[in-house]
Amino acid sequence: MAEDRPKKISRRTLLRSAGVAGAAAAAGSVGLSASPEALTAPLPEQSSAAALPPVAYEHLTAEEAELLEAIADHLIPADEYGPGAMEARAVAYIDRALGGALSDSHDAYRSGLAAFDRYCRASRGGPFLGLSNRDQVSALIDVEIGSATGAATGFAGSSAVFFSMVRSHVLQGTFGDPYYGGNANFVGWDLLGYPGVRTRVSNADQRRLEAGELEPNHRSAYDWDTFNKASARSARTEAKHGD
Amino acid sequence: MGRQAWFLLVSTGLFFSLSMGAISGQEFSHDIVLKSRAMQTGEAMPRDYTPDGRNLSPPLTWSNLPAGTQELAIVCADFGAGNPPPWVHWIIYGISPATVGLPAGLPVESHEAMPADLADAIQGLNGWRRPYYRGPAPPAGTPHLYHFSVYALDEVLGLEPGLTRDDLLEAMEGHILGRGDLVPIYERFSGSANQ
Repeated sequence: MAEDRPKKISRRTLLRSAGVAGAAAAAGSVGLSASPEALTAPLPEQSSAAALPPVAYEHLTAEEAELLEAIADHLIPADEYGPGAMEARAVAYIDRALGGALSDSHDAYRSGLAAFDRYCRASRGGPFLGLSNRDQVSALIDVEIGSATGAATGFAGSSAVFFSMVRSHVLQGTFGDPYYGGNANFVGWDLLGYPGVRTRVSNADQRRLEAGELEPNHRSAYDWDTFNKASARSARTEAKHGD
Repeated sequence: MGRQAWFLLVSTGLFFSLSMGAISGQEFSHDIVLKSRAMQTGEAMPRDYTPDGRNLSPPLTWSNLPAGTQELAIVCADFGAGNPPPWVHWIIYGISPATVGLPAGLPVESHEAMPADLADAIQGLNGWRRPYYRGPAPPAGTPHLYHFSVYALDEVLGLEPGLTRDDLLEAMEGHILGRGDLVPIYERFSGSANQ
């Protein structure tokens, strides 16, 4: 087999084959399957993502972030259908969340990424970033299906658990609300064809939506007063007081 | 190879023979010679064909095909794993009898092309429901046997992609002219012994 390093396309199969629901299923519905044509098609303009400033990671080390970005790039690569997890800054989302809602997962990331690095060195003879595209995909498959478990890899529990965690968070970071630090410039929602959160949808909007002509509004849910974090907290507090 | 491994080889081989007879319900006496330059029956698989290495599909060659062979199919299964057994590591069918073997490292991604002489061959679904080879990953300290079997078929079955081993065996029912087996062994060790 050739040790090729083509721009990855079918890494989305890692998501599909693992039975990802929700956002990934929606992504599949807009035609994210690999094809020979996909391999030769020019990549779309990535200007919006490229214009973003570099990420200053706070909870992941530079090495951890680099490895996680490479994994995320395999899970949801940029392709002829649009940007991927890198452009959505899914790892920036994960980094921020590790200091908050996902803080319980910090140790799992630290130990899992270290175990994955050990596994790649032991099984494929080098760090993940130095492997051929084929060996990278193969190593990720082995982690995904749990075959990287044991035998000196050092994964705490099944490697499949680590993969599942990373996959879920990469999906959240790509397709979640940009308020949380991912889905930069709404690239994930644009990829899905999601027109954005709306508090009011007219009949005309509905018709345009069904015709695929409704322009995305590129607004976070928290750009609306109704869904503002402070408003939501206040509403909950008032409800409690009223009980 | 240790005593435990030989016991496994004999007992699992017996089980395999019995189960194959029960599954196929078909008499076929022709023995195909199935070999690999990478491994032999009863000997350890090199780690490059396992997830402790690059996890490539192994190279295989065959000879002594029965007269009238129109198509070949290959299954790799571990009869000491799975619930119920076996755990399937690989199936590939639609192989032309004009070929003499498979190279190492067949595709794991759908967009990768198969070698030209295997253009019509299809990798079916393994135990992980993936259409490619994934090698042995037994629990540490427990040697397992990996049955590579090649089947010679009396007609081109025109099978669709996505078949499991059970689907394939059902489709091959009544069409098997002969079979050849290669049964290497693999054991994982705790620590760095597999490195």
